[in-house]
Amino acid sequence: MVRDEQLTESELGRIAESLRDDWPTAQAVDFEESVEYHGSLPDEKRFAHVLESADKPLLQPRAGVPRLDKQVELLTHLWEEGGADLLPTTIDSYTRDNEYAKAQEGLDEARESGEDTLNGFPAVNHGVDGCRELVERVPGPIEVRHGTPDARLLAMVTFAGGFQSFEGGPISYNIPYTKSRSLAETIEHWQFVDRLTGLYTEFGVRINREPFGPLTGTLVPPSIAIAIGVVEGLLAATQGVKSLTLGYGQVGNLVQDVAALRALRALGEEYLPDDVTVTTVFHEWMGGFPPDEARANGVISLGGATAAFARPDKVITKSPQEFRGVPTMEANAAGLRTTRQLIDMLIEQDVTIDGIDEEQAFIERSARSLLDSVVSLGDGDVAQGTLRAFETGALDVPFAPSQSAKGAVLPARDDKGRVRILEFGELALDDEIREIHRTHLDARAKTEGRACSFRMVADDVDAISDGRLIGRPKEGWT
Amino acid sequence: MPRTVILGVIGSDAHVVGITILDQALSAAGFDVVNLGVQTSQAEFVDAAKAHDADAVLVSSLYGHAEQDCRGFHDRLASDSLDLPTYIGGNLAVGQDDWDETRRRFERMGFTRVFDSETEPQEAIDALCLDLDVSATEREGSEPQSIRVTT
Repeated sequence: MVRDEQLTESELGRIAESLRDDWPTAQAVDFEESVEYHGSLPDEKRFAHVLESADKPLLQPRAGVPRLDKQVELLTHLWEEGGADLLPTTIDSYTRDNEYAKAQEGLDEARESGEDTLNGFPAVNHGVDGCRELVERVPGPIEVRHGTPDARLLAMVTFAGGFQSFEGGPISYNIPYTKSRSLAETIEHWQFVDRLTGLYTEFGVRINREPFGPLTGTLVPPSIAIAIGVVEGLLAATQGVKSLTLGYGQVGNLVQDVAALRALRALGEEYLPDDVTVTTVFHEWMGGFPPDEARANGVISLGGATAAFARPDKVITKSPQEFRGVPTMEANAAGLRTTRQLIDMLIEQDVTIDGIDEEQAFIERSARSLLDSVVSLGDGDVAQGTLRAFETGALDVPFAPSQSAKGAVLPARDDKGRVRILEFGELALDDEIREIHRTHLDARAKTEGRACSFRMVADDVDAISDGRLIGRPKEGWT
Repeated sequence: MPRTVILGVIGSDAHVVGITILDQALSAAGFDVVNLGVQTSQAEFVDAAKAHDADAVLVSSLYGHAEQDCRGFHDRLASDSLDLPTYIGGNLAVGQDDWDETRRRFERMGFTRVFDSETEPQEAIDALCLDLDVSATEREGSEPQSIRVTT
């Protein structure tokens, strides 16, 4: 039975040994030699150091292509032409499914055809040496960004390969990313990743960990995102992680987004142990983008403005070509510059926006209720509490593809465009909180002269790509 | 008689929102929907089509690996003597592709219809009604309704 307890070193070693046969590159992983290698990296490539010592929001894009030379070229372009402060390496979707042979097929095909046949960089296939070559040839600190439920081998190879930041977590890389993986198993798998991170940290290599805040990226109520981020942070801290970045994805309502980022920081600092440094990351809109690049720039700009007011430690930027999938490197760099312009113009302005404090208090109250239910369902054990909370639906994520979540929660925007909860399922929120959600949604229903329904939800999912925030009825609406 | 359609996201892709909405829209339009969810293999599509005596198979892919994921799919259907319309929709290639070229590529692979990611559910419904000879009287009364989910 998985419990929120630190893995022993012998257990860590046993699991690492058992993974060595999964793909040939795993044989080259040597912990002590890797610690030494990290020691040779200059300060400007130490991810946690750069992030934790910044005095304004740092910008980081997403980017990953299959071939090594092309990945170096792409990241160098984003650094030089986009002005990125932190670099990513996005991993391809076959690796995320532990399908290393399929990733190899895609990589071989990319090398032969000269086309990017994978949607990311297959780091396990490139191996320790390939990762180190990447780390050495790019100009800045670099993070592994992916979506892998069982990321144990990926962590072993990329940590040995010189990466010092690693995205994901047992909930955030299971519930939104997979269909049939058991949550108990992903918690165990991430205990390994976090313990490995903790061990590197104890040996002086401070590896940063980042739970994936946006979850399904589609109208996720802030309280749910924050509660899950804090739970993943608690599980990571048990394993010895000391540098933790909690995330949140833009919903597009300025008041709610600023309030949510403040609540995320406040609750993160309150719930996590004092020796853990908590930073925050804001993801620009993760839902459907407008096809028109000019309009897409508008969405990105709103993200930049929100970041200027809320001052997260880091912003993950989007590109104006988001609608069509993986962007060109020029478009990706443009998204960085658009965001930078908004932040630099706004960050010194002293703007007071009404309603943020009230919204923040509401978000914190709801997130606390969810967090407290996890703790009490597990009789104080967060791992067990997480399992029971998802089994019962006390914790749930809208649009979750995973069978490990009830998926009963449905969100909708209220009359001001704030994300509220339409269907609660068994979510651990009391009647008073539920009533507040209902009152807000009823106000919208009244404005639109229709009942709250799935139609409303579907309209909201499309609204931003259609050029609006709230999915108002299209016909007969003036 | 209601027509049965198989719906799923192929390969390692976990984008669920599109098929969730399509599922609701198709069900409201009177189709029997078998939604296989995300990360569905070719074999699971074929097995479901056989088991449910399906009238059409709708494949979704948003993450760019559709071509590798769909290779040999129509041979598999044919070897199981399944002759039915197949649709595919979404972001079908990695990067900023030329849509006409992508569409032709998937038509050559055997798909009856190929849709881009801007497609509204109604377009797929109209196409299904045409391809499956759903008569006007059958469609009568099965217009998409708002599905009330609150109590």
